[in-house]
Amino acid sequence: MDVTVEVVGEETRAVRVADDATYADLLAPFDLSPHEVSVLVEGRPVPEDQPVETDRVKVLRLIKGG
Amino acid sequence: MECDKCDRDAVMHAAYAGTHLCEEHFCVSVEKRVRRRIREDGLLSSDATPEEPETWVVGLSGGKDSVVLTHILEETFGRDPRVELVALSIHEGIEGYRDESLDACVELAESLGIRHEVVAYEDDLGVRMDDVAEKDPMNMAPCAYCGVFRRDLLESYAAAFGADKLLTGHNLDDEAQTALMNFLEGDVKQVAKHFDASLGGFDEREEQSDFVPRAKPLRDVPEKEVALYAHLRDLPAHVAECPHASEAYRGEIQRLLLKLEENHPGTRHSIMAGYEELAELAARRYRNGGEDGADDGDAALGECERCGSKTARDVCRKCRLIEAVEAA
Repeated sequence: MDVTVEVVGEETRAVRVADDATYADLLAPFDLSPHEVSVLVEGRPVPEDQPVETDRVKVLRLIKGG
Repeated sequence: MECDKCDRDAVMHAAYAGTHLCEEHFCVSVEKRVRRRIREDGLLSSDATPEEPETWVVGLSGGKDSVVLTHILEETFGRDPRVELVALSIHEGIEGYRDESLDACVELAESLGIRHEVVAYEDDLGVRMDDVAEKDPMNMAPCAYCGVFRRDLLESYAAAFGADKLLTGHNLDDEAQTALMNFLEGDVKQVAKHFDASLGGFDEREEQSDFVPRAKPLRDVPEKEVALYAHLRDLPAHVAECPHASEAYRGEIQRLLLKLEENHPGTRHSIMAGYEELAELAARRYRNGGEDGADDGDAALGECERCGSKTARDVCRKCRLIEAVEAA
């Protein structure tokens, strides 16, 4: 499935993942760790280990540096 | 996905604990961990009374960590007559960056109704970090100067305000990075110092009468969770990165730790559990010039000829750095 991923303040990209992918899998193309971001669906944070159930997410970088 | 504790939607997954929590239960769990750390460290002395309260100075930079710490301390002790909170912010002379984060500090202190003091490198030390970073007379990272200056001002103002404790917002990631860096650098003496300076509980540390004792109540909470808490509680935290940030080695360790944590959840917690135990053993060995003990230990501290700060040398490191900047 295709999901639009917006890394807030940086870039927006369409990401293709398997149908059973988790929100954490959406981060792989951006080289971001689930421990440095929060994935937002309709403005609400979601647990990154859960299966993707939307076609658009925002990724909020919570940790700078590194 | 439901919260483990109620039927609301979970907002986060803590892989190291195997838990999913909703906004409310997540925020409560952060607050609980901070309060437990304060209790276990014995932060509030049993000598504190409403008539003779303790003064706790909180280093408030305006970033997420110190904003969350100040918020939780105020929620916990704001009405406790045994504790007086003072927020202390430092302007390093970084155009734009620090001006914005100081606005966040002022907003937070006003909304919480706590005393807030602001001091500046320029007023106290006669230097601004923008100039220091440009001149760089010692050929070091800007953070190396800034760390020395910040510690000096936090320490001297905390003492001037009569502080019994100096609290900073270091989180689990910060402490695990420092632990790993000390270990990889083979610096056991630094590990021992870390224990007595801020890591050990107050009844386990050696008295360091020369300095205001420090504590880090957020050090059980992962960095991401501190940021998520600030986001969910809508706290006025400033999120930009310092324009001079350049701690390359710490950045490398940060990447390494996040990768380890992803593959082996709980790594940061286990590093700190083991490190604290080792640090206590190291502290015992190095105190009082133990058998292999340091003969240049804290017992030999005198006063800096120029500023009067505690130092093992004639002139303290801060004064030597300022002299180098002024000569450049």
